[in-house]
Amino acid sequence: MASKIEQLSFLIVDDYGDFRGVLRNMLQSFGVQKIDSVANGREAISHIEANRYDVILCDYNLGEGRDGQQVLEEIRARKLIGPSTVFVMVTAENTRLMVMGAVEYEPDSYLTKPFTKDLLAQRLERLLMRKTDLLEIEQAIAHKDYDLANQLLDRRIADNPRNVNEFIKLKADLCLKAGAYDQAENIYSGVLMQREVAWARMGIGKAYYHNRRYTEAKSVFEGLIEANERFMAAYDWLARTLLALDEAEAAQKVLETATSHSAKAVVRQRTLGELALKNSDEKVAEKAFGQAIRMGKHSIYKHPSLYANLARAKAVTTSGDVGMKVLRDMQKAFKGDREADLYAAMTEAVIQEDMGNGQRARQCMVNAHEFYKELGTRAAPELALDMARTCNRMGEADRARELLQQAVKNNHSDELFLKEVGDTLSHLGLSDDPQAMIGDIKKGIVRLNNRGVELARVGKLDEAMLLFEEAVEGMPGNKVVNLNAARIFMLYMQEHGIDSRRLEQVREYLERVRGMAPEDRTLHKMQRLFSKLVRQ
Amino acid sequence: MKFSDVLASLIHDMKNSLSMVVHTLDEVTSDPSFNYDRPERITALQNEARRLNNNLIELLTLYKIENERISPSIEDMDIDNFLQELVAENSASATANGISLAYECDPDLFGYFDEGLIRGVLNNLIGNGIRYTRDQLMLTAAQEEGYLVFRVEDNGDGYPEPMLRAQSSDESSADLVEGRTKLGLHFASMIAGMHENGERKGFIRLQNNYRLPGGCFSVWLP
Repeated sequence: MASKIEQLSFLIVDDYGDFRGVLRNMLQSFGVQKIDSVANGREAISHIEANRYDVILCDYNLGEGRDGQQVLEEIRARKLIGPSTVFVMVTAENTRLMVMGAVEYEPDSYLTKPFTKDLLAQRLERLLMRKTDLLEIEQAIAHKDYDLANQLLDRRIADNPRNVNEFIKLKADLCLKAGAYDQAENIYSGVLMQREVAWARMGIGKAYYHNRRYTEAKSVFEGLIEANERFMAAYDWLARTLLALDEAEAAQKVLETATSHSAKAVVRQRTLGELALKNSDEKVAEKAFGQAIRMGKHSIYKHPSLYANLARAKAVTTSGDVGMKVLRDMQKAFKGDREADLYAAMTEAVIQEDMGNGQRARQCMVNAHEFYKELGTRAAPELALDMARTCNRMGEADRARELLQQAVKNNHSDELFLKEVGDTLSHLGLSDDPQAMIGDIKKGIVRLNNRGVELARVGKLDEAMLLFEEAVEGMPGNKVVNLNAARIFMLYMQEHGIDSRRLEQVREYLERVRGMAPEDRTLHKMQRLFSKLVRQ
Repeated sequence: MKFSDVLASLIHDMKNSLSMVVHTLDEVTSDPSFNYDRPERITALQNEARRLNNNLIELLTLYKIENERISPSIEDMDIDNFLQELVAENSASATANGISLAYECDPDLFGYFDEGLIRGVLNNLIGNGIRYTRDQLMLTAAQEEGYLVFRVEDNGDGYPEPMLRAQSSDESSADLVEGRTKLGLHFASMIAGMHENGERKGFIRLQNNYRLPGGCFSVWLP
C-alpha cells in the first residue's frame, strides 16, 4: 500500500453527476488511471463486490436508497473490503460528532465539501501513509488475533513515535474488545490525567460500564451529553447503563431525546422501540419501529422483528386489522424467509387471540412451533425470548419455561442475555427465583465442561469425547460446548489419526458456532486448527 | 421538519453549488489552453466564492452554538498535518492572488482542540489575510506560556491603532469595527473562548509587526 497515488484504483460514489466529474478530474490530474464512478449505494455495492478498490470516496447524501454510512456498514459487515482499503466519507458539513462512536463502522476519514485538489492530495497521502503504518495491526485485529495486535501495539508504544497517542487509543479500544476492562480503564484514566479528551472520556465510561460500576458510568455519559447534546454515542451508552440500573423508563426517555436529534440510526430506533414495548408505551414503540423500518430499508439492520414489533404496537394503538396489515407487508419484504414466517405466525397468534379468534390463534401457534423447530440452531437467541413470551401469552406456560431453560443452556456464558432471560422469567411469572434457576443450569454446564476438560487433560480423550458428544446433543445451540467438543475431537484425531466421520462432526460444530457468533475469537483459533488438520 | 434540519439540508445544497463554482473556476484557470485577457476577474470570482463558503460554515456554526449549545469536541491533533492541510486548502487561491502562503511549526507539535471549529476560524483568517496583505501570508503554531498559539501574519498595512488599543481596554475591539470584520472577530473570539482547560480559557489577540511587517492575528488555546 506504500505505492504512489497514481497506481491506486478509486471508486467515486456521489449522486451529483457534476461532482463526480470534478472528482474524476482531480484524480486524473494526480495521474490516477483506474477510476470508477457510480451514482448510488446499490451500484456502489455491486461495483465493490466485483472489483477491488484501494480508495473509496463516498458522499454521505446519496438521495434515494442507501446513504454513505449504510454503504460503509454493508461493505464492512459483509467483508467486501479489508483493512487495506481506505474509505473516505464526503460530507457537506461537519457531521463527525453525530456519528462518532455511535456506529459500529467508521470511515478512515471525513472530508468536507468543497475541498481543493491540493487538500485532497494532501489528505490521501496522509491516509495512505497511516494505512501502511497501521496495516499489520489492523489486519491482526480483523483476524481476531488480539494477542498479536497487542504485541505489535506495545512495540510501537515503546518506540514512542510522535503519534504515540494513536497507538495508545488503539490499545485501549482493543482492551475493551478483548474484555480486559481494568487495563482499558487504566489506560483511559492515564490519558485523562494529562488532558480532557473526548475519546478517552467516552472510553472510561465504557470501561466503568463493563466493570459494573454503573453509577460512575452514568455520570460520565451524562457529563458528555451536558457538554455536547449532539454526542450521539453518549446517549446510547447512557441508555444501556440506565437499563443495567433497572431504570427502563429513564432509559427510554434518553433514547427519545437522542432520536429527536438524529432519527436516522436504525439500531437506536430499534432499541428505543423494544424499550417502549417493555414499558407498555405502544405509541412511542409504534413511531420507533416505523422509523427503523423506513430508515433500515436498505440497511444490514433490516429484520423481521422490526415489523413484528410494529404490528404488536399498532394492534394496541389502532386495531388488530392494522397490525395484520403490517404482517402482510413483512411477508412481502421477506419472501421465503423462515424467520419472517415464524415472526408472522407468533405475532398473528397474539393478535388473533386478542381479537377473539381463538381457533385461528391456535393454528398460528402450531405453525410457529413447526417453523421454530425447522430453524434449529440457526435461530437467534433473542428469538427464544420472543417465542417464550408468545407461548406464555397463549397459555402455554410450560412450553415457555422450557424454551427459556433451553435458552440458558444454549447461552450460559452470555451474561447480558442471561439477564434478559431472568427478566423475562420473572416478568412472565414463570419462576419465583429466576436467578437461582439460571444459576443452577449454569453450574451444571460449567461442571460438565470442567469434567470434560479435566478428562482430556489426564489423557482420557475418548471419555471426554463421549461426554461432549452427549452435551452437544442436549444443548446444540451452546457456543462453548460446541467449541469444546470440536477441540477435544481434534485433539483426539491429532493423536489417533483422521477419521472422516469425526471430521464431519467437527465441521458441523464449527459451522454452528459460525452461524451464532462469526466473530468469536476461539472459533477463529479452532478454525485454524481445523484447516491444519484437514491439510494433513 | 425541524428548522435545523432544513438549514442543514439547504446548506448542503448550497455547498454543492459552491463546490461546482469553485472547482470549475479552478479547472478553468489551471487549463494551459485557457486564454483570457483579464485573469484578475476570475480570481475575484474565486475569492468571492470562497468567502461565501467560509460564511456559510460560520453561519451554521453560529446557529449550532446558539441553538444546540454545542461545545468543542477536544481531540489530540497533529499540528504539522493540520497546518499543511490548511495551506493546501488555500494555496490555489493565494497563488491566483499573487500571494505566497507558507506555514511554520515544530513537526513534533501536538495540540488539543476541536478540529472543525478551529479549521473554520483559521480559514476565515486566511481568507481575510489574502484580501489585506501585500504579497505574503504566514501561518505558524507554537507552544507558548502553556497555550497553543496559532498566528496568521501578513505584510499589509496592519490593524488600525484604535483596534489594537481597544483590546487592552474594557471596550470590546469588535465594537470598533464594522461589517464582515466585526463578525469575523466575534466568531474567532467566541470559538477561542469555548476552548477551556481547567481554569483557563482561550482568547484572541491582535498586534502589528510581529514577524512580518503587517497585521498578526493570534488564537490562543489553553
